[in-house]
Amino acid sequence: MYIENEEDYKFAACTYFAKNHPGETCGSNGLPLTPSSITILGRAQRLLTIEHSNLCIYLDIIRGKHERIIVVAEVIGKPLKEFTTKFSFDEIKNIAKQVAEGLMFLHEQDITHRTLSQDNILLDNSGRVKLFNYGLYYMTGGGSEVSFPLGLPRYLSPEAILGGGGPAADVWTFGIILLELCIGKLWNNLKPGPILRRILTLIHATNPAERISREHDCFEKYKLVPENLKTIIEKCLKMYPSERATFKEIIHDLLDINTHALTHVKPPRGLDGCKLQYLYHWWQLAGGDIQAELKKNGLIKNSPPILSMPIAILLDGCTIGGKTGALFDGRIAKYSLDLLKSRLSHISPHDFYPLMHERKKQYDAVTLPKIIRERDTEYQFYRLLWFQRLLHGYPYTAPYIRAEAEIDIPPLVRGDVWAALLGVVGDIEEQYERIDKETPTPTDRQIDVDIPRCHQYCWLLCGSAGHRTLKRLLKAWLLTNPQYVYWQGLDSLTAPFLYLNFCNEARAFACLSAFVPKFLHKFFLKDNSAVIKEYLAKFWQMAAFHEPELATHLHAIHFVPELFAIPWFLTMFSHVFPLHKIVHLWDALLVEGPALPLFMGVGILRQLRDTLLESGFNECILLFSDLPEIDIGECVKESIEMCRSSPKSISYRRFTNEAVIKDPMDQVEISLEVLFTEISPRISLSDFFSLICQDKCCVIDIRSNLLYEKSCIEGSINVPYSGVHLGQHELRALGLHPQKVLQEAMKQKKTVVVASVEDETAQLFSDYLVKCKVPRVCILRGGIPALLINVPSLFTVPPSKNGHK
Amino acid sequence: MTAATLQNTTKIFKYSYPTCTNKEILYKLEVPVEIPHNGSTRELVQRVLKMFHIPVYLEEELNERLAQFVSEETKNFHNERDEKLLNQLKNSEINVEGIVKNWEKLFKDNVVEFAEQKGTPDEEVFAAAYHKLVHSPALETILQVENSYAKTVMNTLKNRDDDIAKLTLSQTEEMEEKMRLLNTMTTEEEINELAARHFEEQALVSGRWGSQLDALWQTQRAQHRAWLMNTLDQYQTTAALNTPSNSPIGTFSGPGGGSEPPSPPAAARLEESFTIHLGSQLKQTHNVRIVAMDLLDLCTVDHDNPTETSRRLQTSLALYSTELTGVVLLSESAPSRPSPPTTTLMAAARESTEHHFPDVEQQLREITDKVKEPADKRNTQRLKEQTENSNSGSSGNGSSNSARLRPKRNLQTGDIYVTRHSNLAEAHVVFHLIADDSSLRSGDITSRHPVILGLRNILKAACSNDITTISLPLLLRHEHSEEMTAAWCVRRAELVLKCVKGFMLEAAGWGGAEVRTLHFAVPPNTAPQVFASLANLLPSIFRISNPVKFKAPTQ
Repeated sequence: MYIENEEDYKFAACTYFAKNHPGETCGSNGLPLTPSSITILGRAQRLLTIEHSNLCIYLDIIRGKHERIIVVAEVIGKPLKEFTTKFSFDEIKNIAKQVAEGLMFLHEQDITHRTLSQDNILLDNSGRVKLFNYGLYYMTGGGSEVSFPLGLPRYLSPEAILGGGGPAADVWTFGIILLELCIGKLWNNLKPGPILRRILTLIHATNPAERISREHDCFEKYKLVPENLKTIIEKCLKMYPSERATFKEIIHDLLDINTHALTHVKPPRGLDGCKLQYLYHWWQLAGGDIQAELKKNGLIKNSPPILSMPIAILLDGCTIGGKTGALFDGRIAKYSLDLLKSRLSHISPHDFYPLMHERKKQYDAVTLPKIIRERDTEYQFYRLLWFQRLLHGYPYTAPYIRAEAEIDIPPLVRGDVWAALLGVVGDIEEQYERIDKETPTPTDRQIDVDIPRCHQYCWLLCGSAGHRTLKRLLKAWLLTNPQYVYWQGLDSLTAPFLYLNFCNEARAFACLSAFVPKFLHKFFLKDNSAVIKEYLAKFWQMAAFHEPELATHLHAIHFVPELFAIPWFLTMFSHVFPLHKIVHLWDALLVEGPALPLFMGVGILRQLRDTLLESGFNECILLFSDLPEIDIGECVKESIEMCRSSPKSISYRRFTNEAVIKDPMDQVEISLEVLFTEISPRISLSDFFSLICQDKCCVIDIRSNLLYEKSCIEGSINVPYSGVHLGQHELRALGLHPQKVLQEAMKQKKTVVVASVEDETAQLFSDYLVKCKVPRVCILRGGIPALLINVPSLFTVPPSKNGHK
Repeated sequence: MTAATLQNTTKIFKYSYPTCTNKEILYKLEVPVEIPHNGSTRELVQRVLKMFHIPVYLEEELNERLAQFVSEETKNFHNERDEKLLNQLKNSEINVEGIVKNWEKLFKDNVVEFAEQKGTPDEEVFAAAYHKLVHSPALETILQVENSYAKTVMNTLKNRDDDIAKLTLSQTEEMEEKMRLLNTMTTEEEINELAARHFEEQALVSGRWGSQLDALWQTQRAQHRAWLMNTLDQYQTTAALNTPSNSPIGTFSGPGGGSEPPSPPAAARLEESFTIHLGSQLKQTHNVRIVAMDLLDLCTVDHDNPTETSRRLQTSLALYSTELTGVVLLSESAPSRPSPPTTTLMAAARESTEHHFPDVEQQLREITDKVKEPADKRNTQRLKEQTENSNSGSSGNGSSNSARLRPKRNLQTGDIYVTRHSNLAEAHVVFHLIADDSSLRSGDITSRHPVILGLRNILKAACSNDITTISLPLLLRHEHSEEMTAAWCVRRAELVLKCVKGFMLEAAGWGGAEVRTLHFAVPPNTAPQVFASLANLLPSIFRISNPVKFKAPTQ
């Protein structure tokens, strides 16, 4: 045995198997029963959020193969059982008080411990007491999801033995433990049967505590226990739960007798001062392996599966022979942070406390793909601490958060950051509380049908807890948005928020409520056809703008976005991608704003470009019926690039939540009928002006050369519309000079702006350019006349062609 | 245990507040609340406020009162129930002994602390040893040794067959001779006598060979075990000296020692493989393959063919791993009276010594014994239900015929028995799916047919027992028969594929091992056109994954 220091261990894991459903596994709704481990996982999520100074924090609940559950939680010191020296009465009172505090908190949260024992009360050198794995009874639904009995025989209360037992059973157990601490271990060396029998015979005793001590020949010892402690023990060890004290009363009593406070421990600094959840996260990134240690301690045993093969299976699913249930082993495996400490040893103490206004260092990792950055220990270390700071100052730090989120978002705090990006503030809990999520409504049926089909590969969302919460969220949203109706897809849209805020329903709701008006304004109207049509038309224009060749091909085979892109945009891609991809997509979405999805659509098309170009209509339909793997990192990168390089006005949509544009310089709105026919988008005068100023555009004036020579936009070239052969899709046909200019513009990625007097000619000519595979083509809104009115300074008289007189 | 006693109750929450004109007359409110209440009381208050148009200034008070009411009632709920229990205990109205026994059993059966201490079973020790050795440089030797053992068994088998053939020949001759002389020299009685004697001789010879074989298996098995454990000891002591090469396959050469070119497979069989995706958002990848072959080919080892060793090598390597291979065989008979294809399998399994598991026959006997009780129980239950149904007269529709009981059989259509093997070519586990041949011949079976449900159970068992490769008869028939027209085949294949797809999707949620490779076998003599139309079904039913194309960066 090597020398070990208890203080080194930061967390521990224990493991058990959930119950298997016997036989035919179908629920009343005709769907397969949820595996017990999923139910446990869903229930246990709440435990992850519990924080109390006398309770060990739950860090992780892992679902392993074959219904295995692994629970990871904080540990301190060592369990009472392992202390060999006897405690003084003062020490006992200290322990009692802290245990009672922890239990009182649990009872306030409606959590019954039931498995309290000397194994899971931890005590450290400074006298701090914490309860470990107090949620076993809670997460297993009162033991109904596991096949083993919960608790140890000698700590079971009489009513629990008889099959009852509420929270008051914990008081009994608490009493037994106090008595044990005072007089020594009870019913030592007895088998479970005799112990239980003895506990039950106490029903005939007037004072069970005394009776127990007499049975153990410890009555003398018991008499030595201070009166006040004895009263508490006796108040706990009443046979009838109604007569037992509650923890509130016990704490009250203990306060009276317990004067000296706990020695104050200076909060640790450096790594030890970081949030345990972060430490655990970093530890895992640094290569920490929960299962390996469990295996080493013999808590995970892998017997070859061929040895436990069943010998027969009857039609009803009844299995004969084969695996016998694994035994429950209450032992734990402990983990130290050595791995992480050595990984982060070179980090200076300053870096643990980043300053918000300090110039930040650049980390090399920034250039790596997001998925790799998310797995980089050191990078996540800096990012998490930094975000912790920023989130602490929210909402005042909102702009900083946005700026940082643009780089990336640490997965551990994604829920918080998203809420910040969506501007969620205020007492969201109370607002959410006020919404009636229970009263049945006509849409319930549809919701009930859709939820068991929504992202069910995700273990959180496929359990009953996930289903219930998702339904509540959907109902709440529908109730608060009476102008909208339930469209299929709303469930998928809600899923990412629920996934990230599983234990914070109110915040999930607040995020959803903020998300929809920003990105999907009016999408959920009962008649949303105009909104969707506009969106798709805009998407198609963006495709033509950035991918002219592809767009031309798809136009030619009549493969229109209505056939595939409605679920993309209606659910902001949450219906087409798995959650781990959606989060990266939405990270970008939330930062970049509502124009981005259009370009994401183009980004997806671009990835499939080669396949699409060689496919006909039928192949395209098949391809999109089951979208092939898309590289989300690449797609996000390219769509952001496209979004930023495109003039704002070309992605203008009428149905948004933004203020109406009054300034004629910024207006681009055209009637929907016209929009549906146009392939190239329109650019506003002000965007055009700024492009001109930056020399980022190539203007093609298609008026007659007479008008052009009178006055034209500086730097523009003239291609009179009347001279263009629309049938010939080659730039050469435009003449040598325009061809050269256009090719140069394409090379420099300039935006090609078509300026005309009439909309029709501009439209036809821009279509022509798109067919000639010219990217970045748009039409000047209002054409030359509007520009002449608003920005006359841009006009000049062109140098005469055959110039020098 | 506890769940049964936790019956929720409903309590009425009463609340009253003064009406605006008269302080004396109170507005009374009664709301039934379920105890224990799961959900937030504050939310309930909001609903009550809205429903009964209660003035908002009462909100705080109502919040407080309802929370108090619920906590009080919950406490009472628990206490009353427990009090009742304790009173029963006090008055001895309760079976204390039964309860304690139950707890004792629970603790003893499920918790390490109270369970009987058991050492690691022998088979696990042997499994660990074998697994370790087979993944070491000793692999080659092991295979050679096993092969030489198999040769001996083969020789003995051959001798037996020769011997019996010889005997049969001489007996036939003798019989023919006698027959010829019938009515002249011999009588009918004499012939009967002779036949009886022949039969006895046959039994004697096969019995003698049988016991000889048994003895051979026994000795080989014992020798093999002793040798293996010995090798392991040696290996462990010398392991420090010669480092094991990481890839045993790399150093492996055929047991013949010579590097003779592998003989080409007998005849190119029809087969096609696909990589498929399952699932709508998160996609799982599986391999599916459709092959025209006899499923028994996966079992029988052709000991004379040197390429067989590579198949055997894979099987040995994976034997104690978590990537097992399974085969589904349809069988019409119970394990106690095997008929083809079970008999063919048995013959294959007995061509060499089973070093790891009980002999096939012994396995089948054990299955027969252990299955009897639960199956009988189930059958009587089903019979009862059936008679009830027929009495009520509602069973007019055809659904009942598929589940019709076959009397005097404990295993019925759709039931499965499982045998384990270490010496087959490409299978560790064989699922014998009991199928009623006549019903499978008919064209119209539905997705609720017991054989289909049996397939579901097989996939489920595969999932929970780490079988990651499984081969099954696509048409639910091992051979062609005249009613199996092309249309019949397509219809049947479509049904099976669709059902299997559903089962695979379902299996994704079970949290076991995922079945990575699925082989669908069709009878070996399937016509190429029929095979092609069946192979075409796969991409239309499963989503074929689109290959990721490498694109050179443009620019």
